[in-house]
Amino acid sequence: MSAMLEVENLYKTFAGKPALEGVSFAVQEGEIYGLLGHNGAGKSTTLGIILGMVAPDRGEARIGGVSVQRERANALKRVGSIFESPCFYEYLSGWENLKLLSTYSGPFDRKATEAVVERVGLTARIGSKVRTYSHGMRQRLALAQSLLPMPRVMLLDEPTDGLDPEGIKWFRDFILGLRRDEGITVLFNSHLLAEVEQMCDRVAILRQGKRVFEGAVKGLGQEEKIFELDVDPWDKAAEFLELQGCKILEGGRVAMPDDLDPALMVAALVGINVRISAFTPVRRSLEDFYLEMTR
Amino acid sequence: MFLHQLYGEIRKLFARPRTYMGYGAFLIMELVIVLVYKFTDGQYYMRRLIERNGFESDIYFSSLSLTFLVMLFSMFLLGSIFFALVAGDVVAKENEDGNLRLVLARPISRLRLLLVKYTAVAVYTFTFVFFVGLTGYLMAVMAVGWQGGLFIAEQKMKVFAVYPEWGDGIARLAIGAAGIGVSMITLSSLAFMFSCFRIKPAAATIVTLAILFVDMILQNFPFFQPFEHWFITWRMSCWLYLMEKSISWPKIIEAYVFLGGLNFTFFMVGLLAFRLRDFKT
Repeated sequence: MSAMLEVENLYKTFAGKPALEGVSFAVQEGEIYGLLGHNGAGKSTTLGIILGMVAPDRGEARIGGVSVQRERANALKRVGSIFESPCFYEYLSGWENLKLLSTYSGPFDRKATEAVVERVGLTARIGSKVRTYSHGMRQRLALAQSLLPMPRVMLLDEPTDGLDPEGIKWFRDFILGLRRDEGITVLFNSHLLAEVEQMCDRVAILRQGKRVFEGAVKGLGQEEKIFELDVDPWDKAAEFLELQGCKILEGGRVAMPDDLDPALMVAALVGINVRISAFTPVRRSLEDFYLEMTR
Repeated sequence: MFLHQLYGEIRKLFARPRTYMGYGAFLIMELVIVLVYKFTDGQYYMRRLIERNGFESDIYFSSLSLTFLVMLFSMFLLGSIFFALVAGDVVAKENEDGNLRLVLARPISRLRLLLVKYTAVAVYTFTFVFFVGLTGYLMAVMAVGWQGGLFIAEQKMKVFAVYPEWGDGIARLAIGAAGIGVSMITLSSLAFMFSCFRIKPAAATIVTLAILFVDMILQNFPFFQPFEHWFITWRMSCWLYLMEKSISWPKIIEAYVFLGGLNFTFFMVGLLAFRLRDFKT
């Protein structure tokens, strides 16, 4: 696999305040990459730089190996993007919006547009003025415009914000389907950690303009085995486990080194007359991990 | 490709209700002028003006002369408001509404985007003048009939001409309308430039109108007369030279080269401001 989207050493300052400080990452072809961070962490600025809407003080973004800063039009030829609350021309119909926006990318293709409209399920309302659309329909229209012409890379900025659970699921399945069928590369910027967890292969976490983590979503935060114990007497059990090299955590939790077998530990505790009511493995969620990284 | 983009921009322009405010305002104004003219003693003053200059009022008291007056008095004062409104909106309003982000996410350069928008504004300005001329003429025809010549008397630019034949008069009026159309593009260019700045659309309109009116006011001060060639509105009034019996092309070319230079400067300043901007939520 090769990097379809790369950002390298991005720096940006707004009114003397640093927004990005040396952010770098690379998204491989066909990968769904999540960008996480609190408000003001630099996610939208990063997306703005990738789209050439924001000029970086230093650094560069490349799409398919083409520099956005040096050859913007060439780099963005096969890029689709969706923003949180997409602002269409309210006084035009959905169809007219698609036609208008498409002409900024190349010649308008009626057949391709009809196919995309059908694919996002807007055929019945595409002739209506956008001002009459619900939030979900606008998001479908946003999806349609991002697919015209069919992109190789999609940049999604909080695309599911404000959607109902059904809408979120539909959107997620659609994007996953695009990746599966078309091999599209996706950069996904969202606050919804559950969404990121379900969609992304890898994530980067930004804090105050710096990348503080990058890694695979699967197995995130699972580098230590953590168990929740309900034992009696607790002090005796804790003393024993500490002697074995375990770390005693708050709330009756214990972090166990990799080389210890939990089954043997249970047996050993029973052997020293500790009564065990529960010995439950704890899975650290992406949320726990994210909060730890951004705290 | 440029034409497709231009078509889309013009379609967008004419899909917005505020674009039609100017058309509505002019139609109402023309109707009021014609009604007052027909049903009061307004005709008397015009007939007297024609006769005082030694011409037969029966020939020159006509729909063509009336249309000329409507265009002369209304375009700078009323037309400028709508040109500034539409051109001041064209970039700033899209930025305010968030539409620009969708557009700028596309592989179109900012130069090309502004060229498309600027051309659309110029087309709007130019065609609007013809709309005013045409509707003004049709209303004048309803009031005084279609026949008669064209009488032109304008003191400020010192233009005086008569065209006794209807055919000559309408042709000259059409040339004059084209001249006003080109002149008014300078006003639209000024509003367009401000629209490219990081300001509210209303601010772009107001600043443009403020500059226009200050320019007009100063130009009318007697001690500014030696400098009148430097005023934008004076140059914009040079369309009146197109109404002279014998057209003085050097004067006209000089004026339009000056206005063309201003248009180019306004566009480039707007482009520079637009290119330096970051677009972010």
